[in-house]
Amino acid sequence: MSPTSSPAPAGHPVAHKTDWMGAAMQKRIASRYASERRFKFMGLAAVTLSSLFLAFLLFVMVGNGAKGFITTEATLTVDMPAATGSISADQLTGPRLSATISSIDVRRIYDDAVEAQYGENGTRYFASTAWTALRSQLIANPDLLMGKADFWLPTSSDVDRAAKDRSTPEAEADYARLRQAGEVRQTFNWNFLTGSDGTDPARVGIWGALKGSLITIAVTLLLAFPVGVLAAVYLEEYATKNRLTDLIEVSINNLAAVPSIIFGLLGLAVFLQFFAMPRSAAIVGGLTLALMTMPVIVIASRNAIKAVPPSIREAAMGVGASPIQVVFHHVLPLAIPGIMTGTIIGMARALGETAPLLMIGMRAFTTTPPDSLTDPATVLPVQIFLWSDEVNRGFVEKTSAAIIVLLVFLLTMNAVAVYLRNRFETRW
Amino acid sequence: MVTKFMTESAPNTKMSARDVKVFYGEKQAINGVSIDIDMDNVVAFIGPSGCGKSTFLRTLNRMNDTIASARVEGDITLDGENIYSSKMDVVQLRARVGMVFQKPNPFPKSIYDNVAYGPRIHGLAPNKAELDQIVENSLVRAGLWNEVKDRLTESGTALSGGQQQRLCIARAIAVDPEVILMDEPCSALDPIATAKIEELIHELRGRYAIVIVTHNMQQAARVSQKTAFFHLGNMVEYGDTSDIFTNPREERTRDYITGRYG
Repeated sequence: MSPTSSPAPAGHPVAHKTDWMGAAMQKRIASRYASERRFKFMGLAAVTLSSLFLAFLLFVMVGNGAKGFITTEATLTVDMPAATGSISADQLTGPRLSATISSIDVRRIYDDAVEAQYGENGTRYFASTAWTALRSQLIANPDLLMGKADFWLPTSSDVDRAAKDRSTPEAEADYARLRQAGEVRQTFNWNFLTGSDGTDPARVGIWGALKGSLITIAVTLLLAFPVGVLAAVYLEEYATKNRLTDLIEVSINNLAAVPSIIFGLLGLAVFLQFFAMPRSAAIVGGLTLALMTMPVIVIASRNAIKAVPPSIREAAMGVGASPIQVVFHHVLPLAIPGIMTGTIIGMARALGETAPLLMIGMRAFTTTPPDSLTDPATVLPVQIFLWSDEVNRGFVEKTSAAIIVLLVFLLTMNAVAVYLRNRFETRW
Repeated sequence: MVTKFMTESAPNTKMSARDVKVFYGEKQAINGVSIDIDMDNVVAFIGPSGCGKSTFLRTLNRMNDTIASARVEGDITLDGENIYSSKMDVVQLRARVGMVFQKPNPFPKSIYDNVAYGPRIHGLAPNKAELDQIVENSLVRAGLWNEVKDRLTESGTALSGGQQQRLCIARAIAVDPEVILMDEPCSALDPIATAKIEELIHELRGRYAIVIVTHNMQQAARVSQKTAFFHLGNMVEYGDTSDIFTNPREERTRDYITGRYG
């Protein structure tokens, strides 16, 4: 019995036969495909555009910043025994070494050697703190005190820029002279990775700010992660749903959207004014950023906890697990990947934050890396901000180099977090 | 005997409910149900969707506690002890009254850990050897041992649906409960897996008091000795399964069994 020959059932309207091959239907199909192609094209365009922006950013940053990792050095010949009088070998052993070194007036020896080799205004070739580099080399290798040796010392910022790009006419002439004499070279700038802030762009380093960032972010993570996750667990699993918890939920959502500088003001008022904590300290920065990050972690954790299938909770309760066992044995392990995603986002934001830290004084000029939670410190983004504001042209490449360090730090942190997240992920 | 007005319990009664009412907020879902569950008979709850049979089942181990708006009135006793009294430890109650759910819900852990979880949290095994023994016994009793004994470390979620459900039964019996509640345990399974579960219920009978909610009347007839028919929040009829299916007293029961509605 074919469908066409069967009579329509009583009480039903006669079925309208769809004309699948008709022109109107074909047109609809064509327009459907067209809209799909349009959508794909727009998506592809968006991805391409953002990739181009990213490539452009990386290209410009690496192009500018790479030079920040290179330093120009000029040679200086120093006849140590002649300058210091005679130093016996046993004065350089063990505990007596530091006393011996500090008894030497390196600064004077340096000045004399420069004058002897480069003439009266010879110090203009070198960085103003080049003599400290000489001292570091002596400390690292005390045997150099026993004879005449060539030292490679950083050139002045002007000469450095003349070597890399353009500089003042005098500096370019100086550089040409040094080059002709073979008294100049370019090497990797280890000092940039191990040093701290300073006034001479040729001698500044990023380690102080990097260490400040590490300490600050550690404080933030240690505070915001447990508190945020526990708050989320409590709100999801224990709190009864009523007006108060609704209010708390709304407040948390709003906190996550509050501009970061306001958290800086909060930190200033609460930690510095009320609790009288030290200014510019990493602990205050960490606490302030923790306040800022916590709502993000709470929201992400609540969503991750909500996404754990109720059947798992029931299964655990069904064998007699107590509420806390349900949470810690089943819900949290399944929610951890989602919680970590939120934490990564929050931490990345905290790591790149400048404004709230300016409010609590973390724009300190610190020439030594912080050694404790309460030492004056600065962080990478603030350091970048400070250097970008410097008048000295030598800071331009340092700013870009610092941005590279910040990006590498951020990407490393994210990579570790993503790796951890994937390890915790439960395969169903 | 009209069960609604039953007050005395038979001597081997394990659980008994008297005039139990359940409310979800303002809405009443169960209107005064009284029933006795004993160790010798598998009890089946049948009835159309939304009739309250699952809701009632979940009052028996207080799983309804997790729903904020749910409220239970009436008495439910386990060995004569009121399970809704403040003295009753709900965590222990749920160990004594185990539950198997509609959808197989193994933990995303290894097969071994799935079964060992209950004994671990209740401290039932003092050492690894005894825990191994409990796991093996439970899996043997759930009829799953031969299929999984060589892959106990594999994830429980990697098993087939029927195996997962038997794993859940093994998990429930590993804590040595007194009562096992099964909430439509076969509704997500194919006929072969269903047959295995039904066989298993036969074997578990006598050792545990078993209550099974089912949509499938043939299943109720096959596995149970007693059947309760629920309709619109009321328990219409409760009696021997053979009587309910061949000679129901109530017209509504007859209509449902003959497929008039439901």
